[in-house]
Amino acid sequence: MKELTPEDTSLLELVDRLLNKGVVLAGEATISVAGVDLIYLGLNVVLAAVETIEKAQERRAS
Amino acid sequence: MTLLAHAIAASPPAEVSPEGVRGRPLAWSETGGLGLWSTEWAPDIKLERPDALEHHRLVERICAAQPCLPVRFGTAFATSDEARASLDKRAAGLRAALARVAGKSELALTLLWREPSATPNIASAAGPGRQYMESRRAEFAARESRRARAESMVESVIAELAIERQLVWHETCTSDSVAVSLAVLVPTEQASERKAQLEQIATGFPDVIPVLNGPWPPYTFARTE
Repeated sequence: MKELTPEDTSLLELVDRLLNKGVVLAGEATISVAGVDLIYLGLNVVLAAVETIEKAQERRAS
Repeated sequence: MTLLAHAIAASPPAEVSPEGVRGRPLAWSETGGLGLWSTEWAPDIKLERPDALEHHRLVERICAAQPCLPVRFGTAFATSDEARASLDKRAAGLRAALARVAGKSELALTLLWREPSATPNIASAAGPGRQYMESRRAEFAARESRRARAESMVESVIAELAIERQLVWHETCTSDSVAVSLAVLVPTEQASERKAQLEQIATGFPDVIPVLNGPWPPYTFARTE
């Protein structure tokens, strides 16, 4: 299992706030994100960020 | 047309760039002295990952222009009337929350354990049942010890920052890596100073790696309960 890096952590904290904090308004409708349940978006964003970080590291190494 | 909600503010609306998410028009729906900033959206357009971060940047922009309460990402209304009705329904709570966060920003501190939790070493001479029970007991003790350590770090942060408890939110041991996830509400004009102070306190803990973020809009403190 990949350990959390500080970069992953920052993004995860932000995404957690976007999806789990903030005002919840009555009568809201939640839009699905490209067919993916919103609850999984955080993980997807973090995974995407990890890929980006890894690609950047590979570019720096080459 | 759908409205993709971003933030709630008191009227009159501040002057902000009229561009919402993906360059679509930003709308203001007002009722009883409160208003909702949202992007005019089309129900058939699916939100994508970058839209979440664009929502964040938009909320940052609005909060920089006037005190605002971030709305949870993904909240949408079919019409402006529906949005106004939702504001009316909890107007008193929203006004109180707006007063609480006005002029304030959120700083986020995450403490990551430097070392993974130690695996308990149980003597092999014991029978399998006893080994299992001993192993469970050792795991529980290790978990409780980490939780106690995490809580003690939170108490140190609160004491050293000399901040009211109601301006601090925290969770401990939410995963194997995370010791503490903490948010502090600070006056925006003191955010840099408080962030440096928080960093100094957190780097004093030898067993964790501190990760500091913000100032952010007051996501964690926008509750209306």
